[in-house]
Amino acid sequence: MNINLEVEVKKQEASTVLVLSGEIDAYTAPKLKESLLPLTRQPNAEVVVDLEHVNYMDSTGLGVFISALKSTNECGSKLRLIHLQDRVHRLFKITSLDNIITIDTTVRGGN
Amino acid sequence: MEQMKLDLNNYRNLLKEYLLTKNETVLYQAEQLSKMSVQHSISPEEIINVHIEALKDLHPELPQEVTDSLDFLLEAMISYGLALQEFQFLRQKQFELESEISVAARMQETLLSTVHPSVKGLDIGAISVPANQMNGDYYHFVTDKDGSLGIALADVIGKGIPAALAMSMIKYSMDSFPDNQREPSLILENLNRVVERNVDPSMFITMFYGLYNPEDETFSFASAGHEPGFYYHASEDRFEEIHARGLVLGATHNATYQQCIQKINKGDCIILLTDGVTECRVGDRFVEREEVRQVIKDYIHLPAQNAVDKVYKYFERLQEFHLRDDFTLIIIKKEV
Amino acid sequence: MDFKPCVTIRKEWDIVGARQLGRKHAKELGFGTVDQARIATAISELARNIYLYARTGTICFEVIDELDKKGLKIVAKDNGPGIRDISQVMQDGYSTSGGLGAGLPGVKRLMDFFEIRSDSEKGTEIEAIKWLR
Repeated sequence: MNINLEVEVKKQEASTVLVLSGEIDAYTAPKLKESLLPLTRQPNAEVVVDLEHVNYMDSTGLGVFISALKSTNECGSKLRLIHLQDRVHRLFKITSLDNIITIDTTVRGGN
Repeated sequence: MEQMKLDLNNYRNLLKEYLLTKNETVLYQAEQLSKMSVQHSISPEEIINVHIEALKDLHPELPQEVTDSLDFLLEAMISYGLALQEFQFLRQKQFELESEISVAARMQETLLSTVHPSVKGLDIGAISVPANQMNGDYYHFVTDKDGSLGIALADVIGKGIPAALAMSMIKYSMDSFPDNQREPSLILENLNRVVERNVDPSMFITMFYGLYNPEDETFSFASAGHEPGFYYHASEDRFEEIHARGLVLGATHNATYQQCIQKINKGDCIILLTDGVTECRVGDRFVEREEVRQVIKDYIHLPAQNAVDKVYKYFERLQEFHLRDDFTLIIIKKEV
Repeated sequence: MDFKPCVTIRKEWDIVGARQLGRKHAKELGFGTVDQARIATAISELARNIYLYARTGTICFEVIDELDKKGLKIVAKDNGPGIRDISQVMQDGYSTSGGLGAGLPGVKRLMDFFEIRSDSEKGTEIEAIKWLR
């Protein structure tokens, strides 16, 4: 089993897009946190996280997004998640985190 | 610090015998010697040294190149000797840590222990098994004089010691709430404030709280982002998801919780679980909720405790007896 | 017997010189092959620490001849930046696997006595003794 997470940062006009691929779990979550949190600390920044190639995420991953959300509230930046695969999207729905985190559901992630 | 000196005479005799006979028995004895040397922290360079001495005794006419090359070998072994000592030190340290954790785990068990109540008309079964020594899942039963039964089930993000510490916090906050406060939605609202104030921003807890009222045979419940349980309709032999929207504890300070109510009929079951059950992973495959439901269905006719034990055994076997996450399952069956 | 007490460490090559001198003293004192090799390895580690972290320093030797025991003392001294957290560098168990060699805990294991003093102004001084058994 190859448990890994690739993080790629792309600048796109006003926003920063974080393209993730792999799995987000207790081992890879620190890596995500390291790249995501500093971006959310810039006032007025718009941070987009592309989860199209994330096929597994556990609660540790949700924890990273919760702390990123808290950070956007403190710093006046914005966070948006796009291209969630069904399995990952379900986690946000069960935990009702989709009520407080902006999730773009118009485009679904493929698998 | 050598506890045992390698016996030069013994080594010399063995070596001599081997050089003469090339006998497997002697090699076997050398293997025993090697094991014993490791046990007594005798490093490889010491063995080589004894070897050199023995060889010189047996063959005083050895060419200089041979003895020199053995000195060279001895030098090359020094780091392995250090690694051996380090390994033994780490093993000792690991042993100490493990025993410390097992003391903590026993303490946690005592702290968080809950009595499986006997409530008239209900058959209750519960199992909670940690993936490691300490459990990040927690369930608790509260009974009242009027025969009502409160059920709390919580799952802290992550597992192990940090999760266990957060769990103790939940337990003590709940203990501090007044007895008359039994409304599931209010309990979760209060706990959410406690969690939000006291934990790291990336930490959160999912929780289900239910209250059975024997008076009108209803079950009121609320969920803080917890893995949905199942409701089993005995008359139709049908499962239904127990749904209640609500945000996980600790994400915002002012979350409110929807409270739902369900009438319970004879033979019906309430099945509560944590995501250690549904997020069970077999090799590269995930167990689907459908499969979980099917397994529960296979055992639902059994007495509740038997049923949860059987379901656990099934998933334990499926994951080759190595849980990836803490596993908790509760079944409450209405008997009459 | 001429006793050259010190080697100056400036370049990696000097590590070899320090080893060689230490081994010579150990041999003359009557240490066996295993202990000679251990002393040489300890010297390597001390000298390499100087070379890597302080750039320059000295490794000095001293024969200890007391009533009941004899031994070789190694003193490694530098004027480098000092070690901020001694307990961290002395933390046992993570050196050989960490790829940095035996490190200071290794020196402590190889020798019978070990003492370290470090100061951000004065640098680091390490004393290590191997007793002749």
